[in-house]
Amino acid sequence: MSRPPSSRRRFLTGLALAALAGAGMLHGALDAARAAGDRAAAKREAVVRIQALAATLDRLGIAGEPARAGVARWAASDSSLRSIRVLAFEGISLEASTVPADRGERSAPRRLEREEKPLYDQGQRLRAAVETNAEEGVARKAEIEVETGDDGSLAVAAPLEREGAVVGMVWIEQARPPGPPPRAHPIESALPVVVALALFYAGSRGLGERRGALAALAGVLLLAALAAIGWRAASTLRADLRAAESRIAAAVDREARRAGEVAATIAPGAAAAALDPARLDVDAYRRPLRGGAPGTAAAARGLARELAALARATTVMLAATGALALILLAMVGFGTVGRLWNTLRRHRQAYAYVVPAMLGMMVLVFYPFMYGIALSFTDATLFNTDKSIPEIWVGIRNYLEVLGDFSIVRQTPAGPVINYLNFYWTFFNTVLWTVLNVSIGVAVGLALALILNTRGLAARPIYRVLLILPWAMPNYITALIWRGMFHQQFGVINQVIQIFGGRPISWFEEWHTSFATALATNSWLSFPFMMVVSLGALQSIPADLYEASRIDGASRWQQFRAITLPSLQPALVPAIILSVIWTFNMFNIIFLVTQGTPESSTEILITQSYKFAFERYRYGYAAAYSTVIFMILLAYGAWQNRVTRATEAIA
Amino acid sequence: MSARRAARSHSLLHAILAIATLGTVYPVLWVVSIAFSGKQTLAIAEVPPDPTVLDRLRAILPWPELWSFSNFVSVMTDQPFARWIWNSVIVAAATTVLGVFLACTAGYAFSRFRFPGRRKALMSFLVSQMFPGTLTLIPLYIILVKWLGLGSTYQALVLVYATIAIPFCVWMLKGYFDTIPRELEESAIMDGASPAMIFLRIVLPLATPAVAVTALFSFMTSWNEFILAATLMDKEVMYTAPVGLRFFVGGYSQQWGYFAAGAIIVSIPVVVLFLFLQKYVVSGLTAGAVKG
Repeated sequence: MSRPPSSRRRFLTGLALAALAGAGMLHGALDAARAAGDRAAAKREAVVRIQALAATLDRLGIAGEPARAGVARWAASDSSLRSIRVLAFEGISLEASTVPADRGERSAPRRLEREEKPLYDQGQRLRAAVETNAEEGVARKAEIEVETGDDGSLAVAAPLEREGAVVGMVWIEQARPPGPPPRAHPIESALPVVVALALFYAGSRGLGERRGALAALAGVLLLAALAAIGWRAASTLRADLRAAESRIAAAVDREARRAGEVAATIAPGAAAAALDPARLDVDAYRRPLRGGAPGTAAAARGLARELAALARATTVMLAATGALALILLAMVGFGTVGRLWNTLRRHRQAYAYVVPAMLGMMVLVFYPFMYGIALSFTDATLFNTDKSIPEIWVGIRNYLEVLGDFSIVRQTPAGPVINYLNFYWTFFNTVLWTVLNVSIGVAVGLALALILNTRGLAARPIYRVLLILPWAMPNYITALIWRGMFHQQFGVINQVIQIFGGRPISWFEEWHTSFATALATNSWLSFPFMMVVSLGALQSIPADLYEASRIDGASRWQQFRAITLPSLQPALVPAIILSVIWTFNMFNIIFLVTQGTPESSTEILITQSYKFAFERYRYGYAAAYSTVIFMILLAYGAWQNRVTRATEAIA
Repeated sequence: MSARRAARSHSLLHAILAIATLGTVYPVLWVVSIAFSGKQTLAIAEVPPDPTVLDRLRAILPWPELWSFSNFVSVMTDQPFARWIWNSVIVAAATTVLGVFLACTAGYAFSRFRFPGRRKALMSFLVSQMFPGTLTLIPLYIILVKWLGLGSTYQALVLVYATIAIPFCVWMLKGYFDTIPRELEESAIMDGASPAMIFLRIVLPLATPAVAVTALFSFMTSWNEFILAATLMDKEVMYTAPVGLRFFVGGYSQQWGYFAAGAIIVSIPVVVLFLFLQKYVVSGLTAGAVKG
């Protein structure tokens, strides 16, 4: 029998584990941040290079001998550039190239070859991006593309413009800067841990088994050690940022000078206007990164902002690590971990069987669910997914926007118009959709089941199989088929209407007709489920019940009320609950049949939230919207549970 | 007398059933006629400029003017549809294997072992069925595509589909395992069988019907799923069959012949499987609902 470990030993172990884990996390985060910073600086430098080259090509013209001479000279003067290519859209030609393979027969200028299509596509993509951004007045699509090669080299592409239109593209490949990426020495992070352990060992001698005092001492030492590591990491990152800033400033200087030299040698006559340094250090949308050229006040403000953001991020990281380490310390110190370990060992076989499924559910269902709820409190969009949640936190603003907007009807000169993007309209539409679908499904399904249950009816199995068919078909196929059948010109439904002398209807141009198409489609595919459930329940009713009631003189209707309906209830109620939840979230039918038209009026909540996320790219808002849907379903579930319990109690 | 009355009322029932059956079968026949028409238009027959009632009747009769296999041939050869079906097959097969494995092990443990957290885990599986798809879709997209870079890969879809199927499959298998008498396992223990051997050699073979339904459910979840595949698979070569079918008739594309032929190819396996196994699916679904 081993003696249970003393509190002091447990806290010492806890401190060691927590401090090592915390230090490891911080160290890893520091290394990752430094490497990311290094990569970002290399990218910025590459962008400065290509912008300077693009500006020079603007001056020399992108086609013709001066451009080629300029590119050759440029490549010769910069040893860290591997190659340059210049592409003109007019004639799809490669105007200049210093790629080793483009010699002799393949030397520029020439038409692009078939296997160079990706290059041409990239150019067209940049042109489209520039045009889209100019049209929309926002920076949405990247105008400069940077790709990292396997060996750490960078390939950068930027558009070339002439009189406001994109006419070509310049492409450079920059070799990986020599030397390994910066790394912090592990000893820097390990030292505070060792010191903290030694202090605890010495300091806890007099404390004996007083757990509160032990926990306090260990906690203080743990936080102090982590704070020391964090402080050191923060100052390293600040230094890195400043170094990167001066590296970029030097690059801007160097490249501007190179641009001047090349322009002066190739076209000595042209008056060399000085390059605007603010045009060189830009982001992917060609906006000045620091708000101005290096050395200006705007750039200094930009740097200060960057430093402040860095400080915030470090604080968040430090607080999160500290909290986790404290929890670990407490759990080990107070023996929770020990007890947990014992439980795990006692039931290890059971847990071994459950763990794979549980892990999958944790990572791909529960974590995304929690993350989704967290996102609903942020203004996450397509463009800031790399930011951490605290950085984009907006509190309950999204919920206020979703639930607090009561302007359902808008007054226009043409009269009142319903604002179809409003939550309450969509909610009304969803409830109507669910109620109608489930009612139709139950009515049709039950009626057919009653008919099919007639004794002695011929060809029953054939009817049954044919009537189940809609359920067996994949529902997205059903949806697309019905969309085709409702086509205004060629659809069969309008042909039928015309046979009876009606006029063809443009189904998807008004709310009520559009809604009807979706309703028809969904009724078609949902009644078989109700039919099968009812039929199963009907067949389990003993025939003698009917016999007995007939002898008692009950009419058909009385039999139905007194025997059939009560026997159906246990099967039908869960089926209806299930069907309500399915229909409420029936994404495919709305998304594929009406597609929300006209003007989002037929959207239901689930499709609307999808559109907010993946067509309007408002992830945070869409997450809040989905959370509201979840709450509605949860409330429905709770209410339904109480109602069914109540009816069960009565029955 | 009563026999004649029964026959008369039966003829009314037959009439109702015939109308209902016509309604359910018509869209299927429609898609078959488009598929075999050899054309891309969604009209079964051309309607002349000044049509008579007969012309219009011809246009709704689900029987192609000319029977032709050309839509089937060209959708599988000229179009990348064969590749999309292949993608679906790979994803569905992997999902089935993974889903059945995860559900069998977990279902067995939930049925046979009593351990701390068992009830909570079972309940959490049920609650997860209420999460609206879009709420987890956005985070899944961010996690799988933006963070892990798994956009347009088989792995992403397989993992997501397998976990989507887990709750239903676990509940269903647990219920089935519960009905297998424990005495069988106890006597096997007496004979010196190891726990793994009991699970593999005794329990699983006895549960074959339930495992088959689990496999079917995992397969259908994956084979019929549209929106996750549409969101996670960006590249055209990595489309699954559902996304590909939408590609034919979504947006401004109007290749109804390809769509119809593809829809038939994709539907046949699931429709056949479903018709064979539907009674298990119904009982499983309602059993889960009653417990919820």
